[in-house]
Amino acid sequence: MKPRAAWHPWAMLAPTLALLVVFFIVPIGVAAYESLFSWDLLTAPRYVGLDNYRALVARGELLDVALRTLGYSALVVGGAMSSGLGLALALDRPGRLFAFIRASVFSAYVISWVAVALLWMWMLDGDDGLVSRLLRVAGASSSPLLGDPRWALPVLAVIAAWKLTGYAMVVFLAGLQGIPRALLEAAALDGARAWARFRNVTWPLLKPTAAFVATTLLATSFQAFDVVRITTQGGPAHSTELFVYAIYEQIFLDLRVGRASALSVVFFGLLFSLATLQLRAWRARASMRHAA
Amino acid sequence: MSARHPRTSTPCARDALREFGAGVSSERRALEPPLAARRTLEPPLAARRDLLRAGAALSFTSLACGPRGRAIREDGRIVVPFWYALGDLVRKVLLDLVAQFNASQARIVVRPVHQGDYFEALAKLRTAIAAGVAPALSHVVLEVLPYLARAGVLEPLDGYDGAAALPLVPGLSQEGAFDSSTRRPLWGLPFNRSTPIAVLDGTLIEQERIAVPSTWDELAAVARRLTRRESGQVRWGFEVPISWWYWVAMVGQAGGRLVDDRGQMTLGGEAGEQALAFWQRLVREQKVMRPPPGRDYQAWQSTSESFLRRRVAMMWTSTALLRYLEESAPFPVVAAPLPRKLRWSVPTGGTMFVLLRGAPEEEKIAAWEFVRWMCATDQAIAWSTRTGYLPVTRPAVERLREGGWYGAHPNDRVAYDQLEHVDPWPWVPELFRVERDAVEPRLEDAVLTGRDAHETMTEARQQARRTA
Repeated sequence: MKPRAAWHPWAMLAPTLALLVVFFIVPIGVAAYESLFSWDLLTAPRYVGLDNYRALVARGELLDVALRTLGYSALVVGGAMSSGLGLALALDRPGRLFAFIRASVFSAYVISWVAVALLWMWMLDGDDGLVSRLLRVAGASSSPLLGDPRWALPVLAVIAAWKLTGYAMVVFLAGLQGIPRALLEAAALDGARAWARFRNVTWPLLKPTAAFVATTLLATSFQAFDVVRITTQGGPAHSTELFVYAIYEQIFLDLRVGRASALSVVFFGLLFSLATLQLRAWRARASMRHAA
Repeated sequence: MSARHPRTSTPCARDALREFGAGVSSERRALEPPLAARRTLEPPLAARRDLLRAGAALSFTSLACGPRGRAIREDGRIVVPFWYALGDLVRKVLLDLVAQFNASQARIVVRPVHQGDYFEALAKLRTAIAAGVAPALSHVVLEVLPYLARAGVLEPLDGYDGAAALPLVPGLSQEGAFDSSTRRPLWGLPFNRSTPIAVLDGTLIEQERIAVPSTWDELAAVARRLTRRESGQVRWGFEVPISWWYWVAMVGQAGGRLVDDRGQMTLGGEAGEQALAFWQRLVREQKVMRPPPGRDYQAWQSTSESFLRRRVAMMWTSTALLRYLEESAPFPVVAAPLPRKLRWSVPTGGTMFVLLRGAPEEEKIAAWEFVRWMCATDQAIAWSTRTGYLPVTRPAVERLREGGWYGAHPNDRVAYDQLEHVDPWPWVPELFRVERDAVEPRLEDAVLTGRDAHETMTEARQQARRTA
């Protein structure tokens, strides 16, 4: 359909564009501007140029938070994707029992992060928690895992991966159900065993789904806040201080609007770069398919 | 280099008061006669004129400021918004007292609004101040009082009716809680005030025939005796949150001070290192102390839960939790003063009532009525005896003593007697940042990973000096 006037498409887009500008573009611009000031919301802001960024770099805080967040995201994305894919492959069958298990696995995704965090805190309790009891039965030390700087971050990643597995499973199930059965049957007739069928037929056709799951999980894991706030508050010894929580600490606990804004700008830049890389990889694959 | 920011953080009502004060600094203005005149809802003539002028200034600016220019009224009564940060039993007691106040008179109604924990409440308060919608009344932890005072957002209280005559317990008043070498305006009045205290499982110490420890060495010995390891489970001898407040107590006990005579932030020097090294020894070498998981108030809660479930035989906590522990524990709870190394020392904790300058004048005066009412003997006693917080006025203490309260409640007596050993906080506006940025994360790191105490505190001192 051809628009009657050149401004008609813009008029249609205007409500969405307005929301985008007001709630995304302007706040990012304001954050970038405020990152050049030292400000506590109470006294007059003082222009400090790039000092907030310099301070974050000089103290090693920026690198620490970025590496920690990337490490956490890698564990969450890897964990949720592999368990989600495994469950999707195992549960892609008809029958009430499988439907019940699928619903049970997905239910964790529907529960709020706060409830999930509280549940895991109870299970990980150093004295009476289920995990501690199992560790004791196995003869291992039952020190609280969330109180140990070496273990707290991986444990948080396990909690997040557990919650997000249901989401990954459902999307993979949709992807699996989009694969024509005839292809798998043909491969089976050709003598391909289960692993060969998965590697040569299922996985190549699931790749776009996997890319989608990876991107959405990456964005979700980068935004981790509730689980940190409830379980560890960034501790012990900063070991679970992820990007969003670090921003929260700077602005709400340390009363540093400028430094929090600087962290937000870097956070935006990092996510933007990762999303761009992801998009380019997709486009490259798409153009290769077209060329083939 | 400085530049004008597009948004100002100064509430309009405060600007009005600033104009009214003709550019005199807030600290000085509070001490000078015109504003030091008594502020009441029915002021004497001289003060009435001042109030009218202030009121005129406020109503002028309120045209540009929106709803906070004038007090809200409900059935003819002035509504005082009161943002508080207390939970559980203490919250219930506070709400009971507020209801009692509201029922007691016809001019004012206090509306308490829960705002999360202390730091969450502070964050919201700050945002409200910036937006020009600050409540008239709130309460803030001691460490941020100098910061808020310097920012000019607090109302000096000296000029309010009866402020100078309040018979406050010295260690709990602003003057006693902070270094008082410099005269400064009255910014806060004691509300829920506490000190750290040691708490022991009474049954265990009787079974083991143990005397409560009065020195660090005795504490380590008692913790060793009370620690039991059976079939993979541990009952710990001692637990304390690895946090600033308790560390500051130990710095004092080891003979140190956070700030030296020249005003330099020393973090106690060697005493600060000894305090940290003592914790490291108990946790890592002797394995008799359990560092609780979580940070801030979650660590406090975890410590109390461990104690109540008899996973820990002795802990340090706040006097504020005495009543809760006594009522919840299935065993007798025995309180003891914190032990000494070179001397006895405790910091005070809890919060002070503050009035926000940006609030409408009428609301502030009404809020003051409520604060004064809370400081009256009956309320000070009710608040203290029902919660475990310290009684904040001398008449309240006298009446409790004469009525035999301390005989019947020896734990409360221990808490009160510790006030004799209060070390005042330095009046450092950036103190809370020194706490959160420089000290607390490093304490946690050193205790959990075994990092060298001297190296840790040297780094903390450098950071603290940069911050302060």
